[in-house]
Amino acid sequence: MPAFILKRLLQALPVLLIVITASFFMVRLAPGDPFSQERALPVEVMKGLRTYYKLDQPLVTQYIEYLKNIAQGDFGPSFKYSGRTVTEIIGAGLPVTFELGAYALLIALLVGISSGVIASLRPNTWQDYVPMSLAMIGICLPSYVLGPLLVLIVGIWLEWLPVSGWGYIPGDKILPSVTMGFVYAAYISRLARGGMLEILSQDFIRTARAKGVSESMIVLRHALRGGMQPVISFMGPALAGLLGGSFVVETIFQIPGLGRYYVQAAFNRDYTLILGMTIFFAVLIVVFNLLADIVAAWMNPRLRSGKSAGG
Amino acid sequence: MDNARSSPSLWKDAWRRLSRNRLAMLGLCVLTVMVSLALLTPWIAPYSYSAQDLDLGATPPSGAHWLGTDAFGRDLLTLILYGSRVSLAVGFLATAVALTIGVLWGTVSGYAGGRTDAVMMRTVDILYALPFTIFIILLMVIFGRNMFLLFMAIGAVEWLTMARIVRGQVLGIRRQEYIEAAIVMGLPRSRIMYRHVLPNVLGVIIIYTTLTIPNVILLESFLSFLGLGIQPPQSSWGLLISYGVETMEEYPWLLFFPAATLSLTLFSLNFLGDGLRDALDPRAATD
Repeated sequence: MPAFILKRLLQALPVLLIVITASFFMVRLAPGDPFSQERALPVEVMKGLRTYYKLDQPLVTQYIEYLKNIAQGDFGPSFKYSGRTVTEIIGAGLPVTFELGAYALLIALLVGISSGVIASLRPNTWQDYVPMSLAMIGICLPSYVLGPLLVLIVGIWLEWLPVSGWGYIPGDKILPSVTMGFVYAAYISRLARGGMLEILSQDFIRTARAKGVSESMIVLRHALRGGMQPVISFMGPALAGLLGGSFVVETIFQIPGLGRYYVQAAFNRDYTLILGMTIFFAVLIVVFNLLADIVAAWMNPRLRSGKSAGG
Repeated sequence: MDNARSSPSLWKDAWRRLSRNRLAMLGLCVLTVMVSLALLTPWIAPYSYSAQDLDLGATPPSGAHWLGTDAFGRDLLTLILYGSRVSLAVGFLATAVALTIGVLWGTVSGYAGGRTDAVMMRTVDILYALPFTIFIILLMVIFGRNMFLLFMAIGAVEWLTMARIVRGQVLGIRRQEYIEAAIVMGLPRSRIMYRHVLPNVLGVIIIYTTLTIPNVILLESFLSFLGLGIQPPQSSWGLLISYGVETMEEYPWLLFFPAATLSLTLFSLNFLGDGLRDALDPRAATD
C-alpha cells in the first residue's frame, strides 16, 4: 500500500508541473502582454507586481521565481484588488466553498446511494423505474437551470426559503446545497445501482442466500462494499466537478466563495488572481483524485498491483 | 459495410432492438425535429432575428408570439430557434473534433501496442487529471471569447474518454484471428486499420458520440451562462437561460422555455445514447 501511494504521488507531480507551466506562460504570453501594458493600474499594484514577478528579469527567471514563491504558498498580489494578495482571497473563499461542497456531497451520497441500492434490489419494477427516472431528470437539469427554478418556485413564489447569501439568514444554505448536490445524487444513484446489480449476481451472494443469510444482511454486509466501487471511483471526478459547480451555484445565490471570485476575476481580467486560482484548483483536483484512488485501492486490493483506477 | 459477412445482420439486429426501445425512438424523433428546425430557422422563424418592438415590451405567450417576447419586444421562439443553431452547432462540431482526435489516438495506440501504447496512454492519463473546465475559462479570458476557439477547446477536452474506449476495443480486436490472417496476407497497416479494425469499433464509437454531444452542449451552456462562452449578438441556449434568470421574477417564461428546450434536448440525447448502447453492445447493457 505505501508503494502504491508513493507511485500515485509521483504520477501527480508532472500533472501539477504541466498545469503551472501552461497557465503561467499562457497568461504571460497573452496577446498585449497584460503585465507590461501601461494600463490604468494603481501605482502600488504595479510596484507590487514588479517586485513579485521580477519583471526586469528574463521570462524563464521569472518563471522559476514564481515556482519558488508558490511552493511557499505565496501567489503574489491581485491585479484588481489593490492591497490584497491572491493567497488572502483564496483563504477567504475556501472555507465557504468547502462548506457548500461538503453539504452538497453529503446530500448527493445519502440520496444517491440509498436510491441506487433500492433500485438495484428489484430491477425493472417501479421501485427501479422511479428513482432511475428521477436520476435522468437530475442529469438533464444542469445547476444553472435547477438553481433558478428552485429560487423562483421555493424562494419567490412560495417564500419558504431565502434565496441568496451564505450564513446571513437561517436556512439560506439549503437551496444552494440542494442545487449543487442534486446532479451528483443522480450520477451516484446510477453508479450505485449498476455496481450493486453486478455484485448481487455473483456466486458468493448466491452462496450466502443459499445458506439462509437474511436479505438485509446480504446487502449491508456483503454487497455494499463491492457494489460501491464505481461510486468511489467517481468521487475524484465528482469533487473536481463540485468545484466547477461552485462557479454557477455561488453566482446564482451570491455566495462569497472561490467560484464566485474566479468568475469575477475572469470578468475583471484579473490575471494574477486567475493564474493563482487556476493553479490552486489544479492542486485541489489532483489531491482529490489521489485520495479517491487511494480509497479505491484500500477497498479493492486488486487495484493496487494493476493500473491506476481511472474515471 | 462490406467488411464482414455478419455485418449487415448485426446492424439490422441493432436497429430492431433500438426501434423496440420507445424512449430511445422518442429521443430520436425529438432530435430529428430539433435539428430540422435549427437548419430551417432562417426560413421558418416567425420573425427576423433582429426584429424588436420596444413599444410591445415583454409579453407572455400569445397567438402572435407563441412563446412570448422579451423586454425588447423580441419574439422568444425566434431567439430560441437561432440559439439552437449555435448550441447544436457547437455540440456537433466540438464532438466531431473530439471524435477525430479520440478515434485516431485510440486506434493507433491500441494497434501499435508496446511502448507507443504506453506513452500515448500515459499522456491521456495525465491530461485526464487536468482541470479542463478551468483551463477553458482561462483560454477564453486570454484569447477573447470567440466561438471557434470555444469548440476547439471543448473538443480538445472531450476526446480523452473516446481515446480510452477505442483503444480498449482495438486491443481486443487485434488479437482476433482474422486480423492475424490479414497481417500474414501482407496487407498494409493502414488498410487493416481502415477495413478491418475500424468497422468493428464503429458501434462503440457511435454510442459514445451520442453520449458526448450532451456533455458538450452542457459545457457550452455552462460557459455561456457565466458570460464566458457565446457572446451577443449571437445567441445560445445558455445565454438565453442567463437572460431569463435576470428577469425571472417578472417574466418567468423567458426562463422556462429556453430551459425546457435545453433539458428536452439533453433528455433525448441521453435516452438515444442509452438505447444505442443496449442495441449495439448488449454485453454492456447492465451498466
